[in-house]
Amino acid sequence: MFDKLPAIFRSFDLNSDVRTLLRLRQAMEKGLVKTLGDLFYVLKGLVTTAPTDIGPFSKAFYAHFLAIDIQAGETLEEAIIRSETFDEWKKKLSTDDLVDVEDIDLVNQFLDEVHLTSYDIKNFLSGKDILDKDDPSLTDKENPDAGAEVDRQNILDRMADYRDIPLEELLERMREVAKQQKSKHSGGDHWIGTGGVSPYGHGGAAAGGIRVGGSGGGKMARAAINNRNFYPADAKAPLKDDNIDAALAALKGIEEGTSDIILDIPITIKEGLKQGGIFLPYEKEKRQQRIQVILMIDNGGWSMSPYIRTVQKLFSKMKTRFAHDLKTYYFHNTIYGGLYSDAARTQFDKIEKINLQDKNYSVFVIGDADMAPYELHRSSVRDWQKLKKHFKRMAWLNPMDEREWYHSMTCSAIMQMFPMFELSPEGIEEAVIEMNRKRTSSK
Amino acid sequence: MALTTMWTGSESYLCDRELAQAFHMARVIGMPLLIEGEPGTGKTELPIQFAKDLGLELFVYPVGSKSSVEQFVAKFDHVKYLRDSQVEILNAQRAEKGLESKLSTGGRETENLQDYVLKGPATKAFSTPNSVLLIDEIDKAPREFPNDLLFALSHRKLVMPESGEVVEVAEENMPAIIITSNREQELPTAFKGRCVYHYISFPPEETMREIVAKHYPKMDEELQDNCISLFYQMRSLGLERAPATRELLSWIKYLHSFEKAEALTKVKRASGMGVLIKNNDDLQKVKTRILGKNPKFN
Repeated sequence: MFDKLPAIFRSFDLNSDVRTLLRLRQAMEKGLVKTLGDLFYVLKGLVTTAPTDIGPFSKAFYAHFLAIDIQAGETLEEAIIRSETFDEWKKKLSTDDLVDVEDIDLVNQFLDEVHLTSYDIKNFLSGKDILDKDDPSLTDKENPDAGAEVDRQNILDRMADYRDIPLEELLERMREVAKQQKSKHSGGDHWIGTGGVSPYGHGGAAAGGIRVGGSGGGKMARAAINNRNFYPADAKAPLKDDNIDAALAALKGIEEGTSDIILDIPITIKEGLKQGGIFLPYEKEKRQQRIQVILMIDNGGWSMSPYIRTVQKLFSKMKTRFAHDLKTYYFHNTIYGGLYSDAARTQFDKIEKINLQDKNYSVFVIGDADMAPYELHRSSVRDWQKLKKHFKRMAWLNPMDEREWYHSMTCSAIMQMFPMFELSPEGIEEAVIEMNRKRTSSK
Repeated sequence: MALTTMWTGSESYLCDRELAQAFHMARVIGMPLLIEGEPGTGKTELPIQFAKDLGLELFVYPVGSKSSVEQFVAKFDHVKYLRDSQVEILNAQRAEKGLESKLSTGGRETENLQDYVLKGPATKAFSTPNSVLLIDEIDKAPREFPNDLLFALSHRKLVMPESGEVVEVAEENMPAIIITSNREQELPTAFKGRCVYHYISFPPEETMREIVAKHYPKMDEELQDNCISLFYQMRSLGLERAPATRELLSWIKYLHSFEKAEALTKVKRASGMGVLIKNNDDLQKVKTRILGKNPKFN
């Protein structure tokens, strides 16, 4: 069951491979994993690498270890209540526990047990200071009616037990649990336990006071399941405020390394010493990262207006974070002899003037490229080609769905001039890769 | 193994339980802990307070856009080496001429290459058993830095430049390594894969009360309630740069310089906003939505 873990996590678009298993094993050998709650934390630390991984991770964890599949749009509570695991778990509760109890309280209890960590147990135990052993025979699980004191002792003993269980055996136990959950008769003593959840479960531990009251892992999981901040932004979705950071990361790829020649002091000294104090200068390249970007935004028609603000936000973020050389021009549908340097389109700059700038600028044209065919007449096409001839790295970003591009005559015409990509984080990334490819080939 | 017990915070620092657990796990399995989260949620404070609380030595490497692994591990001081070798020649010439006085090399010997190795925080931490090593704001680093860094850290062994001296640390003396990031740039996947990852979620109101109480144990309750509720109201506005714990604490510090009644009116009028809100658009938003003022007609 564990050996499939990396594959399971990968199926939830998380990064995981055999190293996850090695590290998990390491953590187990060091005694970090004694409860299911511990396992949640340890795996979370090993598998997640961004806040946006926490949602998928929680889903994967619940699906795999508890056989609770959380559907899109469903809250964790709903998924739990719907699940067989929860039903099984409820059966283990004594009838007294079920009187006058709302499902939601039971869910809280369930979550507490699932996410109970060995730290919780330790805290509780050291708090109550009941480490003295009365009668070892009473700690036997044959005596479910033994008092709470004994239960706690029982817990400590079991914790010690689990520490020494090798990974393979844990795997075997978990496999058993899974089988039993499928065949609907839970029982016996297995790792994720009595009632299928926790070895400290069966109401006893909770009754004994080891409740963490909706804090810890349960709370985390609950918060993560329905919060889009804990899910990756959809890289294929059109650029929006939520995936702007993903787009930004893609844009970072256009950073250009430039190199200047500078004096290499260490080598000069070393060689100079070999020459008996006669110093000949040695030089080396100094690498520097530089980004120069020109944006050309179609801010004319209504079709573009939903995107303009986001595009500007994206590129202004880019400007503050890593590119300091950013110029923006505006046009309506297409260009006639030049572009405007202000959003209101009053300051006109001729193509010739724009083309005086460094040809190393990366140029992003953002527009839907859809207009009346007569608008894109021959002289306009020539203007685009002039720009293309000067700026070697030019790409068109189109906010429309790719399938619609071919329905527009003007769009098809423009696609013959410029490589066109969707205005989405993924599209931007492709555009950047394409631009970088051009840079290397032009060298 | 030493120092792998759970640490849950100190008198003046409330360590979130999940963070404490992740930190513990990282130390136990000897991996660096990578902490991400909003600015001002106490990422950098963790190692500082941990070291202070347990009396451990702390080594800090603040990362900047020009950071290199050389600075982090060790650097060979070529200029000093050059100077000293010139001094040696000079001294020999003087001796030849029968002059007694000599120029000093400050106890350094050009034969001894390790005299010219400037040790960086990593080397210092590796040579001090059970120390704490903080690599702050790694997201500010040049792109290749994180991977170089991990290569350096993954072997528990550092080789000094030129001198070839080896600094090694036994597994049980491994320093606790904490790396913080504000997510200004995506870190390489390989890098993240080698760290235990923890994302600090913003503390809920109850926790915030505890945090405030740790810093200002004698604070008036009414004042505290008002401050915290206004603070969370601001955070719910969806500001460009929402105020975080650090800003709240600075604001409270400011309010503390007044008598209670005066401080309360200050809260009501939200004065001293400059500490909390650092962006003009945000300030306008707060003014209109919370204080009910329309800036245009005011």
